Amino acid sequence: MSDNDLTQPNFSRRDFISTAATVTGALVVGFWMPSRAQAQIANPEGAAWANESAADEVNAWVVVAPDDTVTVRIAQTELGQGVWTSNAMIVSEELQCDWSKVRPQYASANRDAKEMAPKWTLNVMGKGATDPLGGGEPEFGNRDRTGVTGIPDSLYRRMRTNAAASVKDGRYYLQLAGAEARERLLLAAAKTWGVPVEEVSSANSIITHRPTGRTTTYGQVAPLAAQTPHPNPERIRIKPPSEWTLMGTEQRNLDVPLKVSGKTVYGIDVKLPGMKWAAVKSCPVYGGKVKSYDFERIRKEPGIISAIPFPIPDPALIRGRIFGGGVAVIADSWYQAKTAIDKMPIEWDVPPQYAALNTAGIRATLMAALDAPGKVGVNVGDCDSAFRGGAKIVEATYSVPYLPRARMEPGNATVLVTDNRVDIWLGDQSPQETRRSAAQITGIPETNVYVHLCHLGGGYGRNGNGPQAEQAIYIANLNRGTPIHLLWTREEDFVNTTYRSIGVARLRAALDKDGWPIAMEVRTATDENAPGTNAGFDVAARYFAPNYRFSAHSGRFHIPVGTRRGVGAPAQHFYRESFMDELAHAAGKDPYLYRRELISRTNLPYKADMIKALDMAAEMSGWGTPLPQGTARAIALEERGAEAGSHATISAQVHTVSISKQGEVRLMRVDVAHDEGFGLVNPLTVRKQIEGQIVWFYNDAMYQECNVTEGRIVENNFDTFLLSRIKEDAPQINISFFKTGHWLDGMAHDRGTSIQSGIADAVFQITGKRYRDLPLRNHDLTWS
Amino acid sequence: MAVDLTVNGVRHSIDVAPETPLLWVIRDQLGLTGTKFSCGIAQCGACTLHIDGRPVRSCSVPVSAAVGKAVTTIEGLSPAGAHPVQLAWIELDVPQCGYCQSGMIMSVVALLNRRPNPTDAEIDAEITNACRCSTYQRIRKAIHLAATRNSAGGRTL
Repeated sequence: MSDNDLTQPNFSRRDFISTAATVTGALVVGFWMPSRAQAQIANPEGAAWANESAADEVNAWVVVAPDDTVTVRIAQTELGQGVWTSNAMIVSEELQCDWSKVRPQYASANRDAKEMAPKWTLNVMGKGATDPLGGGEPEFGNRDRTGVTGIPDSLYRRMRTNAAASVKDGRYYLQLAGAEARERLLLAAAKTWGVPVEEVSSANSIITHRPTGRTTTYGQVAPLAAQTPHPNPERIRIKPPSEWTLMGTEQRNLDVPLKVSGKTVYGIDVKLPGMKWAAVKSCPVYGGKVKSYDFERIRKEPGIISAIPFPIPDPALIRGRIFGGGVAVIADSWYQAKTAIDKMPIEWDVPPQYAALNTAGIRATLMAALDAPGKVGVNVGDCDSAFRGGAKIVEATYSVPYLPRARMEPGNATVLVTDNRVDIWLGDQSPQETRRSAAQITGIPETNVYVHLCHLGGGYGRNGNGPQAEQAIYIANLNRGTPIHLLWTREEDFVNTTYRSIGVARLRAALDKDGWPIAMEVRTATDENAPGTNAGFDVAARYFAPNYRFSAHSGRFHIPVGTRRGVGAPAQHFYRESFMDELAHAAGKDPYLYRRELISRTNLPYKADMIKALDMAAEMSGWGTPLPQGTARAIALEERGAEAGSHATISAQVHTVSISKQGEVRLMRVDVAHDEGFGLVNPLTVRKQIEGQIVWFYNDAMYQECNVTEGRIVENNFDTFLLSRIKEDAPQINISFFKTGHWLDGMAHDRGTSIQSGIADAVFQITGKRYRDLPLRNHDLTWS
Repeated sequence: MAVDLTVNGVRHSIDVAPETPLLWVIRDQLGLTGTKFSCGIAQCGACTLHIDGRPVRSCSVPVSAAVGKAVTTIEGLSPAGAHPVQLAWIELDVPQCGYCQSGMIMSVVALLNRRPNPTDAEIDAEITNACRCSTYQRIRKAIHLAATRNSAGGRTL
């Protein structure tokens, strides 16, 4: 089964081949016939999408070639988080194959549309249930046919890449897939030798008949294994962490060698015979559309073919987000298309109520919402009367800006629509949704839609891709037979992404005469469609107060909001941990010991792990030892799932920050104590993720914001939306792991959030100034 | 009009407007897609390549500026992807998404060619490419690793 094996009777092969011949040395991908396709690819090893294999598959995840090369099919998208390697490790752990011969490849989203999942992958534990076979506690979302909100029953189950859940959600059935394949390979060997299967075992792709010492290889018996069904897949046992040998070891990422040689094929690098390029301008005010454009002004520019207006992409296809309508210019090369569209007069039809909005007005609306009734998440005790009895009242109002992901690869997609088939090449965190979009836009059934996945040049949140596929499919559908490669400029990428919502919060506490909280009230306000607004405060206070109230408030704005890295946690951790620093200072107590005491007073299921994290990070950092003038330490807790009872990720970080009298901030070192649960799959990847997230949230703390003027986003390239460089990276990042008794709730997106409160508190300690709104570059950080 | 360009040691005659950015000639006409487009305004450095050994941001350099000079891209560093900087990058598992790394590596090679054993301060001053995944910890270590290998082996990069 392959994405490449469909012949196309309505399609002119001759055109493709002749065009291809004029292109020298390019990555030219043929796809209509496998043999020709191979000949067209300049660097085939760089293309990660599903390919046909000469060997028969053992199951949908595992193909073993005669030379023992194992192809593991990956249903999540590699965007730098290491899933290409981690998920291959999970399968290989159970398969017991030679890791040096493992080659990942993307699972086919088209095949996923045609086949149902094997029953043994559906036989999963419920949320939080313990696996009776000793594999731990898998956590699965709801079942959902579309794959948008839950996990479908289609072949590869969860193909989306989000919520730091690729390992967490996939581990159980990926282990099962590896184990099922191994047991069938053993059955095939036993059948070949005419011996009981109990007498054969395997390691490193070599199968041994123990009584006689005879051996064979996976590659030799794979064809027979492919014909040998598992007699009782419900009985397959997967390894608990105590038996892992590959998982838990540091493995270099398998995609790295191609990435350092420039050979990896990202979506932007795809080139097809006869392909044309599209440059786009979307209405910069969301919800607006094209009123008119003057193509005649650019018709004679070099390489220009046509201009195509497109409507506001159907919100039903992109989880309700409303972007702008726009116009595309098609040309022989992208630079020609981009140069021409810049010269083309375009008038926009902008909803006046949106054109009147700006950052100050949006923030004022949210501030007012804090005083209106909100959605009460927790209300323990009686805050109102407790506040009347406090020895000291502390109140603070914080705010954070709109933030995009700003991945380095601008949005793009290459689409070919013919009468009966759609092919799409792109980096995509939700290929099942893109498949559905293609079917809806073209009227061609999902079973004839082929999504050829590429590695992504950054992700940082599932729906950051915006409507790249939807725009490209719409345009290609009007140009059937011609492959269209749509590519956004950097500025257009800012228009077509969702944002982490702007937010404000007011936190109040009443302290007793010893400085301990007797009441705490938390009010947050964001866009009403913002996800994750309960993070960090819901269900129960992480820091104990006998009277505790949390309410979420909202306003409604036209900027599309979505799941940027960390979702709700980064903003809410900034509010919470900043406020804990403020309370500790008001109480005259050490911020580390103050936090420690308040966590110890709770009944949270993982409070011992939170205390452990704080203790370890403090000790690693030399907490309490003298620092030079102008240097300070701050500590904070990071948690995901601390209120629940099944999965959680707990960490603490200490940030050592120096600030010159001229106000230059320097992050000197970061000490990280991080939960590894029962075990990490690839600790090297986790270290890399932690290192990267520290800088990610450093950027949030120091530099990044997007403002709104006249309804449009102002900062839209890297001259105004700033990225830190190597000179600001901490000279020292120390990471230590500690084991806990739970499964991790992912870790690729909400670690390092504490650097926000950390730098803000260091500023306070050094300069005496307390700033409660980010980014800090807007403030005077000088001192004398 | 035809522009004569020497890229990775190979001469090409290319029909292109002379003001076209070098980046798009390299990517579209020559099919060398290891050099990346990201900001288009010479800010991020994803498009970094060498002209006569010096790192330039090719999104903002017209192709005419490279005529008569030697252009080197990531593909031209080493046929096998085994340049000492690439090997150090593999050994320390530097890339995450990898999109900026071609440009980053080209900047680092240019630095090491001028300063075979750079200090941290020199790295800070010279390496101004942006990495959104923020792989800077490993980039710095890998630069030092490549420099150490280089001086130990007496090679030039």
